[in-house]
Amino acid sequence: MNTVAPGILRPPIASRPTGAARVGVGGPVGSGKTALLENLIPRFLRRGTDLAIITNDIATREDAERVRRSGLIAPDRVLAVETGACPHSAIREDPTLNIQAADALDAKFPGLELILIESGGDNLASSFSLDLVDYWMFVIDVAGGDDIPRKRGLGVLSCDLLVINKIDLAPYVRVDLQRMIREANDVRGGRPVLLTNCATGEGVDAVVEHLAREVLFDAASSGMDALDRR
Amino acid sequence: MLRLTRILGSSADEHVAERLHVLAHAGAVEYVTLRKEDTARRRLHVFTDRGTEAGIMLDRSERLANGAVLLLDDDRAVVVRLEEPQWLALAPRDAACALELGYFCGNMHWKVRFAGEYLHISLEGPADTYLARIAHLVGGGKVKVVGNE
Repeated sequence: MNTVAPGILRPPIASRPTGAARVGVGGPVGSGKTALLENLIPRFLRRGTDLAIITNDIATREDAERVRRSGLIAPDRVLAVETGACPHSAIREDPTLNIQAADALDAKFPGLELILIESGGDNLASSFSLDLVDYWMFVIDVAGGDDIPRKRGLGVLSCDLLVINKIDLAPYVRVDLQRMIREANDVRGGRPVLLTNCATGEGVDAVVEHLAREVLFDAASSGMDALDRR
Repeated sequence: MLRLTRILGSSADEHVAERLHVLAHAGAVEYVTLRKEDTARRRLHVFTDRGTEAGIMLDRSERLANGAVLLLDDDRAVVVRLEEPQWLALAPRDAACALELGYFCGNMHWKVRFAGEYLHISLEGPADTYLARIAHLVGGGKVKVVGNE
Protein backbone atom coordinates (compact mmCIF):
# COMPACT_ATOMS: atom_id res chain seq x y z
CA MET A 1 0.00 0.00 0.00
CA ASN A 2 1.30 3.46 -0.83
CA THR A 3 1.82 5.85 2.00
CA VAL A 4 2.22 9.56 1.84
CA ALA A 5 4.94 11.13 3.93
CA PRO A 6 3.68 13.93 6.16
CA GLY A 7 3.83 17.30 4.49
CA ILE A 8 4.45 15.89 1.06
CA LEU A 9 1.77 16.36 -1.53
CA ARG A 10 1.85 13.74 -4.24
CA PRO A 11 1.51 15.03 -7.78
CA PRO A 12 -1.79 14.38 -9.52
CA ILE A 13 -0.16 12.70 -12.49
CA ALA A 14 -2.20 9.57 -13.01
CA SER A 15 -4.69 9.79 -15.83
CA ARG A 16 -5.68 6.20 -15.30
CA PRO A 17 -5.09 4.04 -12.25
CA THR A 18 -3.11 0.83 -12.26
CA GLY A 19 -5.39 -2.17 -12.28
CA ALA A 20 -8.78 -2.87 -13.75
CA ALA A 21 -12.08 -2.40 -11.98
CA ARG A 22 -13.12 -5.68 -10.37
CA VAL A 23 -16.78 -6.66 -10.37
CA GLY A 24 -18.15 -9.76 -8.64
CA VAL A 25 -21.00 -11.90 -9.95
CA GLY A 26 -22.49 -14.11 -7.23
CA GLY A 27 -25.68 -15.99 -6.65
CA PRO A 28 -27.30 -19.38 -6.12
CA VAL A 29 -26.60 -22.45 -8.25
CA GLY A 30 -28.40 -22.27 -11.59
CA SER A 31 -29.52 -18.66 -11.32
CA GLY A 32 -27.75 -17.75 -14.55
CA LYS A 33 -24.41 -16.25 -13.50
CA THR A 34 -22.48 -17.81 -16.39
CA ALA A 35 -25.27 -17.02 -18.83
CA LEU A 36 -25.14 -13.41 -17.67
CA LEU A 37 -21.36 -13.40 -18.23
CA GLU A 38 -21.90 -14.75 -21.74
CA ASN A 39 -24.27 -11.87 -22.37
CA LEU A 40 -22.06 -9.22 -20.78
CA ILE A 41 -18.85 -10.15 -22.61
CA PRO A 42 -19.88 -9.23 -26.18
CA ARG A 43 -21.60 -6.07 -25.01
CA PHE A 44 -18.57 -4.80 -23.10
CA LEU A 45 -16.27 -5.72 -26.00
CA ARG A 46 -18.55 -3.85 -28.42
CA ARG A 47 -18.36 -0.71 -26.31
CA GLY A 48 -14.55 -1.01 -26.36
CA THR A 49 -13.98 -2.17 -22.80
CA ASP A 50 -10.73 -4.10 -22.28
CA LEU A 51 -12.08 -7.13 -20.45
CA ALA A 52 -11.04 -10.33 -18.68
CA ILE A 53 -12.92 -13.03 -16.78
CA ILE A 54 -12.33 -15.16 -13.69
CA THR A 55 -14.63 -18.05 -12.91
CA ASN A 56 -14.85 -20.07 -9.71
CA ASP A 57 -15.85 -23.70 -9.43
CA ILE A 58 -15.55 -26.10 -6.51
CA ALA A 59 -13.56 -28.89 -8.13
CA THR A 60 -13.54 -28.32 -11.89
CA ARG A 61 -12.92 -25.62 -14.48
CA GLU A 62 -16.29 -26.17 -16.08
CA ASP A 63 -17.44 -22.55 -16.18
CA ALA A 64 -14.07 -21.26 -17.44
CA GLU A 65 -14.02 -23.87 -20.19
CA ARG A 66 -17.58 -22.95 -21.13
CA VAL A 67 -16.64 -19.28 -21.47
CA ARG A 68 -13.39 -20.09 -23.32
CA ARG A 69 -15.16 -22.36 -25.77
CA SER A 70 -17.86 -19.77 -26.37
CA GLY A 71 -15.56 -17.84 -28.70
CA LEU A 72 -16.78 -14.62 -27.13
CA ILE A 73 -13.40 -13.63 -25.71
CA ALA A 74 -9.77 -14.67 -26.17
CA PRO A 75 -9.25 -17.83 -24.09
CA ASP A 76 -6.15 -16.43 -22.35
CA ARG A 77 -8.36 -13.71 -20.88
CA VAL A 78 -10.35 -16.29 -18.93
CA LEU A 79 -8.87 -17.72 -15.73
CA ALA A 80 -10.33 -20.47 -13.56
CA VAL A 81 -10.12 -20.68 -9.79
CA GLU A 82 -10.85 -24.02 -8.18
CA THR A 83 -12.09 -23.18 -4.71
CA GLY A 84 -11.93 -26.72 -3.37
CA ALA A 85 -14.48 -25.76 -0.72
CA CYS A 86 -17.58 -23.67 -0.26
CA PRO A 87 -17.47 -21.05 -3.04
CA HIS A 88 -18.05 -18.17 -0.63
CA SER A 89 -14.81 -18.99 1.17
CA ALA A 90 -12.85 -17.93 -1.95
CA ILE A 91 -14.69 -14.66 -2.47
CA ARG A 92 -15.19 -13.57 1.13
CA GLU A 93 -13.30 -15.30 3.96
CA ASP A 94 -10.03 -15.78 2.07
CA PRO A 95 -10.15 -14.34 -1.44
CA THR A 96 -6.38 -14.76 -1.96
CA LEU A 97 -6.72 -17.12 -4.94
CA ASN A 98 -9.03 -14.72 -6.74
CA ILE A 99 -6.91 -11.68 -5.89
CA GLN A 100 -3.86 -13.47 -7.28
CA ALA A 101 -5.75 -14.37 -10.44
CA ALA A 102 -6.92 -10.77 -10.89
CA ASP A 103 -3.41 -9.46 -10.25
CA ALA A 104 -2.07 -11.89 -12.86
CA LEU A 105 -4.58 -10.60 -15.42
CA ASP A 106 -3.67 -7.00 -14.60
CA ALA A 107 0.01 -7.83 -15.11
CA LYS A 108 -0.55 -9.72 -18.36
CA PHE A 109 -2.89 -7.16 -19.91
CA PRO A 110 -1.69 -3.67 -18.90
CA GLY A 111 -4.63 -1.87 -20.52
CA LEU A 112 -7.21 -4.01 -18.79
CA GLU A 113 -10.23 -2.00 -17.68
CA LEU A 114 -12.63 -4.54 -16.21
CA ILE A 115 -12.39 -7.98 -14.62
CA LEU A 116 -15.63 -9.86 -14.04
CA ILE A 117 -15.25 -12.42 -11.25
CA GLU A 118 -17.92 -15.11 -11.21
CA SER A 119 -18.39 -16.94 -7.94
CA GLY A 120 -19.23 -20.60 -7.81
CA GLY A 121 -22.92 -21.30 -7.27
CA ASP A 122 -23.73 -20.79 -3.62
CA ASN A 123 -26.65 -19.93 -1.36
CA LEU A 124 -28.50 -16.76 -0.38
CA ALA A 125 -25.92 -15.92 2.29
CA SER A 126 -23.08 -15.59 -0.21
CA SER A 127 -21.28 -12.26 -0.43
CA PHE A 128 -18.05 -10.76 -1.77
CA SER A 129 -15.23 -9.23 0.21
CA LEU A 130 -14.53 -5.66 -0.84
CA ASP A 131 -10.86 -6.57 -0.61
CA LEU A 132 -11.49 -8.57 -3.78
CA VAL A 133 -14.03 -6.53 -5.74
CA ASP A 134 -14.97 -2.89 -6.10
CA TYR A 135 -18.58 -3.69 -6.84
CA TRP A 136 -20.65 -6.85 -6.89
CA MET A 137 -23.94 -8.12 -8.14
CA PHE A 138 -26.08 -10.99 -6.95
CA VAL A 139 -28.04 -12.98 -9.50
CA ILE A 140 -31.26 -14.74 -8.52
CA ASP A 141 -33.92 -16.13 -10.80
CA VAL A 142 -37.68 -16.31 -10.75
CA ALA A 143 -37.65 -20.12 -10.99
CA GLY A 144 -35.96 -20.20 -7.59
CA GLY A 145 -39.18 -18.83 -6.13
CA ASP A 146 -40.62 -15.37 -5.67
CA ASP A 147 -40.03 -15.58 -1.93
CA ILE A 148 -36.25 -15.21 -2.31
CA PRO A 149 -36.10 -11.42 -1.82
CA ARG A 150 -38.28 -11.39 1.29
CA LYS A 151 -36.13 -14.13 2.85
CA ARG A 152 -33.55 -11.34 3.26
CA GLY A 153 -30.49 -13.39 2.49
CA LEU A 154 -27.17 -11.62 2.96
CA GLY A 155 -26.47 -11.68 -0.77
CA VAL A 156 -29.80 -10.11 -1.67
CA LEU A 157 -29.49 -7.45 1.03
CA SER A 158 -25.87 -6.44 0.72
CA CYS A 159 -25.01 -6.66 -2.97
CA ASP A 160 -24.53 -3.44 -4.91
CA LEU A 161 -26.83 -4.60 -7.70
CA LEU A 162 -29.47 -7.32 -7.53
CA VAL A 163 -30.22 -9.01 -10.85
CA ILE A 164 -33.43 -11.02 -11.19
CA ASN A 165 -32.91 -13.36 -14.12
CA LYS A 166 -35.17 -15.67 -16.17
CA ILE A 167 -38.05 -13.21 -15.98
CA ASP A 168 -39.62 -14.96 -18.97
CA LEU A 169 -40.27 -18.03 -16.83
CA ALA A 170 -42.49 -16.27 -14.29
CA PRO A 171 -45.83 -17.43 -15.75
CA TYR A 172 -44.62 -21.02 -15.98
CA VAL A 173 -43.46 -21.30 -12.37
CA ARG A 174 -46.40 -19.42 -10.87
CA VAL A 175 -44.32 -16.47 -9.80
CA ASP A 176 -45.82 -13.04 -9.30
CA LEU A 177 -42.94 -11.08 -10.84
CA GLN A 178 -44.27 -7.66 -9.89
CA ARG A 179 -44.55 -8.73 -6.26
CA MET A 180 -41.02 -10.17 -6.40
CA ILE A 181 -39.69 -6.86 -7.76
CA ARG A 182 -41.61 -4.88 -5.16
CA GLU A 183 -40.30 -7.01 -2.30
CA ALA A 184 -36.76 -6.86 -3.69
CA ASN A 185 -36.93 -3.07 -3.71
CA ASP A 186 -38.38 -3.04 -0.21
CA VAL A 187 -35.74 -5.24 1.42
CA ARG A 188 -32.94 -3.40 -0.39
CA GLY A 189 -34.12 0.03 0.63
CA GLY A 190 -34.33 1.23 -2.95
CA ARG A 191 -30.85 0.16 -4.02
CA PRO A 192 -30.59 -1.04 -7.62
CA VAL A 193 -32.55 -4.03 -8.92
CA LEU A 194 -32.43 -4.97 -12.61
CA LEU A 195 -34.32 -7.62 -14.56
CA THR A 196 -32.84 -9.90 -17.21
CA ASN A 197 -33.68 -12.78 -19.46
CA CYS A 198 -30.26 -14.10 -20.40
CA ALA A 199 -31.78 -16.58 -22.83
CA THR A 200 -32.62 -13.66 -25.13
CA GLY A 201 -30.39 -10.90 -23.77
CA GLU A 202 -33.35 -8.85 -22.57
CA GLY A 203 -32.29 -6.37 -19.89
CA VAL A 204 -28.56 -7.03 -20.20
CA ASP A 205 -27.82 -3.68 -21.85
CA ALA A 206 -29.08 -2.00 -18.69
CA VAL A 207 -26.66 -4.08 -16.60
CA VAL A 208 -23.77 -2.99 -18.85
CA GLU A 209 -24.77 0.66 -18.64
CA HIS A 210 -25.13 0.39 -14.89
CA LEU A 211 -21.70 -1.18 -14.37
CA ALA A 212 -20.06 1.33 -16.72
CA ARG A 213 -21.60 4.18 -14.77
CA GLU A 214 -20.64 2.74 -11.38
CA VAL A 215 -17.05 1.55 -11.94
CA LEU A 216 -15.64 2.38 -15.40
CA PHE A 217 -16.13 6.16 -15.64
CA ASP A 218 -14.77 6.04 -19.20
CA ALA A 219 -15.56 8.27 -22.14
CA ALA A 220 -18.31 5.90 -23.20
CA SER A 221 -20.02 6.33 -19.85
CA SER A 222 -22.61 9.04 -19.85
CA GLY A 223 -21.99 12.32 -18.16
CA MET A 224 -18.24 12.77 -18.77
CA ASP A 225 -17.68 16.48 -19.14
CA ALA A 226 -15.16 19.28 -19.07
CA LEU A 227 -14.69 18.93 -15.33
CA ASP A 228 -12.65 15.81 -15.98
CA ARG A 229 -9.33 17.17 -14.77
CA ARG A 230 -7.41 14.00 -14.15
CA MET B 1 -18.23 13.67 -14.13
CA LEU B 2 -15.07 14.42 -12.18
CA ARG B 3 -12.57 11.56 -12.24
CA LEU B 4 -10.43 11.32 -9.13
CA THR B 5 -7.55 8.91 -9.67
CA ARG B 6 -5.10 9.51 -6.87
CA ILE B 7 -4.84 10.15 -3.15
CA LEU B 8 -2.80 13.33 -3.15
CA GLY B 9 -2.27 13.54 0.58
CA SER B 10 -4.05 13.74 3.89
CA SER B 11 -5.95 16.67 5.31
CA ALA B 12 -4.01 16.05 8.52
CA ASP B 13 -0.72 16.93 6.84
CA GLU B 14 0.30 20.45 7.81
CA HIS B 15 1.12 21.55 4.28
CA VAL B 16 -2.15 20.21 2.93
CA ALA B 17 -4.18 21.52 5.86
CA GLU B 18 -2.95 25.06 5.20
CA ARG B 19 -4.10 24.94 1.59
CA LEU B 20 -7.43 23.40 2.60
CA HIS B 21 -7.89 26.12 5.18
CA VAL B 22 -7.49 28.81 2.54
CA LEU B 23 -9.84 27.04 0.15
CA ALA B 24 -12.38 26.48 2.91
CA HIS B 25 -12.55 30.24 3.48
CA ALA B 26 -13.41 30.57 -0.18
CA GLY B 27 -16.05 27.87 0.18
CA ALA B 28 -14.12 25.69 -2.25
CA VAL B 29 -13.68 22.46 -0.27
CA GLU B 30 -16.07 19.65 -1.16
CA TYR B 31 -16.50 16.51 0.93
CA VAL B 32 -17.27 12.95 -0.11
CA THR B 33 -18.80 11.05 2.80
CA LEU B 34 -18.17 7.31 2.81
CA ARG B 35 -19.07 4.38 5.01
CA LYS B 36 -16.02 2.75 6.54
CA GLU B 37 -16.57 -0.49 4.65
CA ASP B 38 -16.53 1.37 1.34
CA THR B 39 -12.94 2.49 1.87
CA ALA B 40 -11.83 -0.95 0.64
CA ARG B 41 -13.21 -0.18 -2.82
CA ARG B 42 -10.93 1.28 -5.50
CA ARG B 43 -13.84 2.35 -7.69
CA LEU B 44 -16.68 4.43 -6.34
CA HIS B 45 -19.36 6.50 -7.98
CA VAL B 46 -20.06 9.32 -5.55
CA PHE B 47 -21.51 12.77 -5.14
CA THR B 48 -19.84 15.45 -3.05
CA ASP B 49 -21.75 17.46 -0.47
CA ARG B 50 -22.09 20.13 -3.15
CA GLY B 51 -23.65 17.68 -5.57
CA THR B 52 -20.63 17.21 -7.83
CA GLU B 53 -20.72 13.79 -9.48
CA ALA B 54 -17.38 12.02 -9.25
CA GLY B 55 -15.80 8.70 -10.12
CA ILE B 56 -13.09 7.60 -7.72
CA MET B 57 -10.71 5.19 -9.47
CA LEU B 58 -7.57 4.36 -7.56
CA ASP B 59 -4.57 2.11 -8.03
CA ARG B 60 -5.04 -1.22 -6.28
CA SER B 61 -2.18 -0.24 -3.99
CA GLU B 62 -4.10 2.77 -2.67
CA ARG B 63 -6.69 2.74 0.09
CA LEU B 64 -9.13 5.46 1.00
CA ALA B 65 -9.11 6.84 4.52
CA ASN B 66 -10.67 9.62 6.51
CA GLY B 67 -9.14 12.89 5.32
CA ALA B 68 -7.80 11.53 2.03
CA VAL B 69 -7.43 14.45 -0.39
CA LEU B 70 -8.48 13.49 -3.90
CA LEU B 71 -8.34 16.90 -5.55
CA LEU B 72 -6.35 19.97 -4.56
CA ASP B 73 -6.21 22.78 -7.06
CA ASP B 74 -5.81 26.50 -6.57
CA ASP B 75 -9.56 26.87 -6.71
CA ARG B 76 -11.00 23.61 -5.44
CA ALA B 77 -10.46 20.58 -3.21
CA VAL B 78 -12.22 17.26 -2.66
CA VAL B 79 -11.71 15.48 0.66
CA VAL B 80 -12.97 12.12 1.95
CA ARG B 81 -14.88 12.09 5.19
CA LEU B 82 -15.93 8.84 6.88
CA GLU B 83 -19.34 8.33 8.40
CA GLU B 84 -19.28 7.69 12.10
CA PRO B 85 -19.74 3.94 12.55
CA GLN B 86 -23.14 2.96 13.92
CA TRP B 87 -23.38 0.27 16.58
CA LEU B 88 -26.25 -1.76 17.97
CA ALA B 89 -25.52 -2.53 21.63
CA LEU B 90 -26.93 -5.77 23.01
CA ALA B 91 -26.93 -7.24 26.51
CA PRO B 92 -27.30 -11.03 26.72
CA ARG B 93 -29.23 -12.28 29.77
CA ASP B 94 -26.57 -14.77 30.87
CA ALA B 95 -23.54 -16.67 29.62
CA ALA B 96 -25.59 -19.22 27.70
CA CYS B 97 -27.47 -16.44 25.92
CA ALA B 98 -24.16 -14.70 25.19
CA LEU B 99 -22.89 -17.86 23.53
CA GLU B 100 -26.02 -18.15 21.46
CA LEU B 101 -25.86 -14.49 20.44
CA GLY B 102 -22.17 -14.72 19.57
CA TYR B 103 -22.75 -17.85 17.51
CA PHE B 104 -25.65 -16.21 15.68
CA CYS B 105 -23.70 -13.04 14.88
CA GLY B 106 -20.80 -15.10 13.58
CA ASN B 107 -23.13 -17.13 11.43
CA MET B 108 -24.49 -13.90 9.98
CA HIS B 109 -20.94 -12.64 9.29
CA TRP B 110 -21.68 -9.48 11.24
CA LYS B 111 -18.79 -7.43 12.49
CA VAL B 112 -18.90 -7.06 16.28
CA ARG B 113 -16.91 -5.63 19.15
CA PHE B 114 -17.05 -6.53 22.83
CA ALA B 115 -17.70 -3.96 25.53
CA GLY B 116 -17.74 -5.62 28.93
CA GLU B 117 -21.01 -7.49 29.21
CA TYR B 118 -22.32 -5.96 25.99
CA LEU B 119 -21.87 -7.04 22.43
CA HIS B 120 -21.91 -4.30 19.80
CA ILE B 121 -22.86 -5.05 16.20
CA SER B 122 -21.45 -2.79 13.50
CA LEU B 123 -24.42 -1.61 11.44
CA GLU B 124 -23.84 -1.70 7.72
CA GLY B 125 -27.50 -1.06 6.99
CA PRO B 126 -30.70 -0.07 8.80
CA ALA B 127 -30.88 -1.18 12.45
CA ASP B 128 -34.33 -2.65 11.76
CA THR B 129 -32.77 -5.21 9.43
CA TYR B 130 -30.54 -6.46 12.25
CA LEU B 131 -33.32 -6.32 14.83
CA ALA B 132 -35.51 -8.46 12.57
CA ARG B 133 -32.82 -11.14 12.45
CA ILE B 134 -32.39 -11.27 16.23
CA ALA B 135 -36.09 -10.96 17.00
CA HIS B 136 -36.15 -14.55 18.31
CA LEU B 137 -33.44 -13.68 20.83
CA VAL B 138 -34.92 -10.33 21.88
CA GLY B 139 -38.50 -11.59 21.93
CA GLY B 140 -37.50 -14.60 24.01
CA GLY B 141 -35.81 -12.38 26.59
CA LYS B 142 -32.39 -13.83 25.90
CA VAL B 143 -31.00 -10.54 24.64
CA LYS B 144 -31.88 -6.96 25.46
CA VAL B 145 -31.29 -4.04 23.10
CA VAL B 146 -29.53 -1.42 25.19
CA GLY B 147 -28.59 1.12 22.57
CA ASN B 148 -28.30 2.15 18.98
CA GLU B 149 -25.51 4.66 18.63
